[in-house]
Formats: sequence, structure tokens, C-alpha cells
Amino acid sequence: MTFLQRSMSKLARRWLGYLTLAAILPLLAHAQENAGPDYDDILQGFADSERWLTYSGDYSGKRHSPLTQINVDNIQSLRPEWTFQTGTTTRGRGFETTPLVDAGVLYVTGSNNYAWAIDARTGRAFWQYRRNLPSDLTYGASAPVNRGFGMLGNSLFMVTLDAHLLSFDRRSGDILWDVVLADYHQGYAATLAPLVLDNKVIVGISGGEYATRGFIDAYDPATGDRLWRFNTIPGPGEPGSETWPDDPEVLARGGGGTWMNGSYDPELNLIYWGVGNPNPDYYGDLRPGDNLYSNSIVALDADTGELRWHYQFTPHDLNDWDSNQIPVLADIEWQGSPRRVVMLANRNGFFYVMDRVNGELLLATPFTATTWAREIGADGRPIVLNDGSKGCLPDPWGSTNFMPPSYYPELGLFYLTARETCATYVAEEPTFVPGQSSFGGVVFIDGDQGSGALRALDVQTGDLRWEFPYPSPTFGGVLTTAASLVFAGDHEGNFMAFDAVSGENLWHYQTGSRIWGAAAMTHMLDGRQYVLIASGTTLTAFALPAQ
Amino acid sequence: MKKSPETKRSLIRFVTWILSITAVMYVSSVPAQQINPLESDPRAARAGGVLFRSQCATCHGGDAKGITGIEAPDLTLIWAAVGTTDERVFQTIRNGVPGSIMPAHGFTDPETWMLVSYLRSVAATGATEFSGDAVRGSGLFLSNCARCHRVRGEGGSLGPDLSQITSRRSAAALVNSVREPSATIARRYHSVSLVFEGLSAGASGSRQRIQGTLKSEDAFSIQMMDTNQQLRAFMKADLLEFVRESDSLMPAFSRTDLSSAELEDILTFLQSQL
Repeated sequence: MTFLQRSMSKLARRWLGYLTLAAILPLLAHAQENAGPDYDDILQGFADSERWLTYSGDYSGKRHSPLTQINVDNIQSLRPEWTFQTGTTTRGRGFETTPLVDAGVLYVTGSNNYAWAIDARTGRAFWQYRRNLPSDLTYGASAPVNRGFGMLGNSLFMVTLDAHLLSFDRRSGDILWDVVLADYHQGYAATLAPLVLDNKVIVGISGGEYATRGFIDAYDPATGDRLWRFNTIPGPGEPGSETWPDDPEVLARGGGGTWMNGSYDPELNLIYWGVGNPNPDYYGDLRPGDNLYSNSIVALDADTGELRWHYQFTPHDLNDWDSNQIPVLADIEWQGSPRRVVMLANRNGFFYVMDRVNGELLLATPFTATTWAREIGADGRPIVLNDGSKGCLPDPWGSTNFMPPSYYPELGLFYLTARETCATYVAEEPTFVPGQSSFGGVVFIDGDQGSGALRALDVQTGDLRWEFPYPSPTFGGVLTTAASLVFAGDHEGNFMAFDAVSGENLWHYQTGSRIWGAAAMTHMLDGRQYVLIASGTTLTAFALPAQ
Repeated sequence: MKKSPETKRSLIRFVTWILSITAVMYVSSVPAQQINPLESDPRAARAGGVLFRSQCATCHGGDAKGITGIEAPDLTLIWAAVGTTDERVFQTIRNGVPGSIMPAHGFTDPETWMLVSYLRSVAATGATEFSGDAVRGSGLFLSNCARCHRVRGEGGSLGPDLSQITSRRSAAALVNSVREPSATIARRYHSVSLVFEGLSAGASGSRQRIQGTLKSEDAFSIQMMDTNQQLRAFMKADLLEFVRESDSLMPAFSRTDLSSAELEDILTFLQSQL
């Protein structure tokens, strides 16, 4: 055998080896590996009790789990199982995440763009990720929060404070791709949990306090390529631009952030997304008109991003009442016939029920004592009593906010965290400096008059069924479970459970820090039901004592 | 030789460059500026106010007095603290307070000085010079105030420490807080009354009523200081009565209780202790 022959033979053997390995590896992988959830799994929502695969648990935004192991009779025994310390604080805000869970592993994002894979049994981390953030963050510096991962297969998706979208390998925490959503220097940031649909990752953007222009984007989960973009503030001449001054500069800095998660109706193939305040927040003289689509809900075709319908809650907003609340989708009986509705409790103090096929307004009633309007007229527009000049309006944080509410279908009750506040707004013409916020005025909040409450609303009438008062205005979210339980958190740090029917407080645990922006999630593992809540710098898992 | 326009421009560029380098070198050789260069410019405080309301008011409030529930201090009081200088405030704005929620800020130097000017303009003005008898005031303070108030570590804890009070409040505000103490009550000094079942030996079922100042509360519990200056906590569910009093625990001192001259003596004593 010549040298050349020997070499060729060696090469051939090596290649044969590679080919064999290549053929076997996928089989091995398939046999041993959990390939992760696909779109159908997410579509099934709560069907697999050991999984929580999307921010609200399913696409509807109800945050209503079918789990019943923890119930009104045994909840007194609920106790912390473990606490995970993130080691990162959230300047002035909260630990706002909802963990995802699959195959005993929690996937958790934290403040300052930390993230972890955590053993759901012990609270021990498999890996930690920390993004090397630039020192000149804009909006991301004032609200360094994150609300969670999206998941598809072995990929995780997370947005960042410097306005990127990242894909991770969920097994290692390695970055698969990294795309820029917008230029953070201008004021943009991103904080929500990506919404994963069939072959699409939907995200929104923060930064409406700056001279920015909001949008909702869809990305290819495999490559990070952008599939479509919906601009929440129209361009010159586009539909909606007639509600703005005829000035491209005003439109380009019109605000309309989309910083909180939307919901999805797979049958209608529509996504529902809340849009934030126009910019400047308090000073309206530079932007006469309704300022669409600020402070609206938009229903978009999931395949194209085209607008199907919209409804504006607060035309020409002067109070920073973003409409970035979770749209809650439900199929209910409405005046004798079935209706597919979307429900939303707004920062402006009104609770809205709308037909989600066409956007028809069915109900709008106030849920806090103070608001700006007497009622919503037959034309769907508010009848404004107090534009802010008469004092005592809900503060800029609103009568409720992004903290998730929950809907209990069997009871027909919508549970939300209400904030009773008293604020006076003084507008002041701003200057527009890229990277500097332009609120356009100042707000005086009367701290002595603030309080909060967990409220249960009858969705047929908006009537208050029961409430549990909190000592101060609260930002904690709500989870309900089919065992007639409501889990909620408050500003004083209590994580609590209530009887969903009577409102009786059944259990509480002092977590040591205000619960801000976070709502609980729940899942089964080893035959036990766990309930998790983020608070301060910790994530705590609760369960009944092991049998 | 006549210089061409091209050469002239290059020369001007060169000279400009040299000048700016010199300026940079000069500035960088000087340690952090210690005096507010905008101090005498009345527009600075106004511009600083605009900046403050857009960039700082979320935590410190539109009037710089802080917001209840956010642990950001009342900035109108910072100048009363020993060691507060323009430069120190400048550095705090620039660098933030490590370990707290106060971040570093990327304002330019002039913007930062404008903020300093604004904070100077809203500083709580201390009382004017009192001219009473500090020695007599000391005695009056001991007999009337010291059970609840402290000065330089001496006295009680039921009411606020008064060591710095004369530099933080105007004379009118000080007089008013003695004559009408319930008109404005500081945070953590609101009065509460509680009734609960006592647990003293052999006397279970005996009702106890106590008063004190509310320090903290959540939906289920309260933390308070009773009038014996003991820190106590109760579950709300265990209380038979829980009343938030509108009146302060501090008695109102009328002119017959304490004459204007006597009050002046006390304030003079407090000022002498600064």
C-alpha cells in the first residue's frame, strides 16, 4: 500500500466513522432527550400539569390553572419548599418574572437581564446567564426588569434592557442568536416575556417616556429574522395619522410602547396587544387629536401583523395611562348568547369587556373610586369630568397596571389588583433630547390617600363581588386555581391565598419584600403541586408537606 | 507669500486644535470642580427644576420632598446635614449612592450644576436666630419635651429627634408644631389606639387598651411604639379595637401652658445644640 493509499483509507475510515455517528446521534438524542415543547404543546395550555409554557400559562391570559391539590381545606399547611436568591436587585421596581417549567426545570429571567435554569425540586441553578449591559442604558436603567422567557423546543427567548431579542439553548444557557429590536440610545428598552406562536416569536418594546415610536414585531424562532412589524403610531398619511398633527416629527416620537405581553386566539388567528401612552406623557398641546393607537388595544393578524380592529381606552391621554395590561380572552354567555370576548382592566380605572371578533364594546364600568370619566358613552368615548386640572386623578401608575389579573370561568369573576390613588398633574412643555425622557410635566401624588385592594368583579356587570383591602397601592398580580383559590401578592410583601367565592383570606406568608409586577404560577412535580412567586430578590416555591 | 484659503483654513484648524487640547489639559489637571460655576445665574435653578421634574421626580417627588413609600429622601432637607456641599451633591447626582436605588446619572456638567442650583433653591430654610435664654430653655425642654423628644442623644423616643430641627424648619413652622401638633404629623408618628385581651396571670380575658405611634403595618399585622416607648407588634385579627387617631400623641401647648417667651427659650436652647 502506498502512502497515498494508506492515507486515503484512513480518511475513508474516519469519514465512515463520522457518518455512522451522524446517523446514530439523532436516534440517541431522540431516545434520551426531551426535545422541548412545540407549538401544539403551548396551544394545549394547562393540559400537561407538569408544564407552564408561556407567560400566562396559556394563550388566553386567564392565568387560571386547573390544579386542585392545594385547596381551601388544606391550604393552611402550605409552606415554603425552597427560596432561590437571585443576587441582583431591581432599582426602584420589582422582580417581575413568571417562571416557565418543563421536565422539572424552571426557566427564569431576572432583573438586569440575569437568567437561570433552576431545578424545580431544590431551587438549585443549572446555569446562570448575565448580559453585559452597556452603562448608558436609557429607559432600561430606570426599569431594569424582565417578565420572563418564551420557549419553543430547546430554545428560549428573552428581550433585553438594551432592546435586543435573544435566543438561548435552554440546556446550556448559550446564546443561539441575538437581534436588535431598536436603538436603546434613543430611549428604547424591552422587558416583556416573548409570546411564542407557530413559528413566530412576538415581542413589543418599552420607551414611551422618550421620543420613541412603539411597535409589535414577529421574528423567526430559528434564525431571528424579522417577519413583520406593526407600528403603533402611524406614519404620515397612514390610517390613524389623522388623529395627530400633520407633522412627521411628532409622529416619529409619538410613543405608544408595547411593553407588556399580549394574548392570542388561535381560532381567529389574532393577537391582542395593549399600547402605551403617547409622548410627551402629560403635555398634550404638541399633539392635538386622539393620538391613535396610543392607549388602545389592537387586534393583529398573527401571520401578517395587519390591524384588524382597535379600541382606544383613553383618547388623547394626559396621565401616562398606558393600556399595557394583559388582555384576557374568554368565551362567555353574554345576554343569552355565546360571545368570544376580550376583557381588560385599565389604568384609567375602567373595566372593559369587548367582542374580540370585531372589537364591539360590550361593557365599561369603573372599578376604582377615582377616575377621569363619568362613564363611557354609547359611542365608546369617555365622558370626561376631570382632565386633571381639578386634582385627584388616579396617579400615573394607574388604577391597576401590568400586574396580571385572573379570570375564573366557572365563577364568571375577574380578579384584579386595584389602586386607589390621588394625583395632580401639572403639564410643562418638554424639550426633546435623544436618550432623555420627555414626560412633559410633573405629578404630585398624595401619599396619605393611597390604598390598594384585591377586587373580584362580575364580568356581566362589572359589579364588585368582594374585595380585600391592602394598606397601600399595590403592584402584585393574581393567579386563580380551579380549587376555588385566588393567589395574590401585595406591596407590604405578603403572598396570600383567598377563597375565590367569598373573598375570605385563607393563608399568607411574608416574603420580606414588596411583590411588584409578579403574579404566581403553579405546576405539578412528583405528584405535588407547587406555587411560585417572585418577590424582591427571591423566588420562593410553596407546596404542601410531602406525604 | 500670500497664503491660499486652503492653507488659512488648515492654520485655523491647527490653532483651534491646539487651543482645545490646552483647554482639555487644563480642565483635566484641575480636580473635580468644587464651586458651582452657575451659582450666580438665576436661570440655572429654573432650568434645573425642569430637569429635576423630568428626571428625578419619579422617586423624589415633583417638589423634591420625597414620596411616601419610596425610600428616596426629602431633598429639601439635605443642606441641613453636616458636610453637605455643592460639590458633594454634584458627585451624588453623578455617581449615585452605591448599594441604594439611587443610580449614577449621565447628565453633563452644566446640567448637573443646574440640578445643584435647583436643590439649593428649594432647600428648607432653617429658623432665623432665636434670642431667648438657652439655659432657661434647657430646663423647660427637660420638663416639657424630653420625655418624648431627644436632643443630642438625651431624651425619649416616642416623638422625633429634635437635634437638627431648627435648621430644617422655619420659626413659624416650629411654633405651629408646638401650638397645633396635630395639624401635620410626620410619617411613622401617627397615633393609634388598640384594645386586646391581656394575658396576665390569672387575669385572662382582661382587656387592655394602649396607645402609641404606628411604625409600620401590612394587611395582617401592625408594628408600633407604645407610650412606654416599647416596640410592640400585634396581629390585626387579635385586636378587639384598632383606631387610627387623627390627633397626635403630642399635647397642644397653649400660651397658658407655655408662653411665647418660654417657647422662644426652648427654641434658643435647641438652636444652641446644633
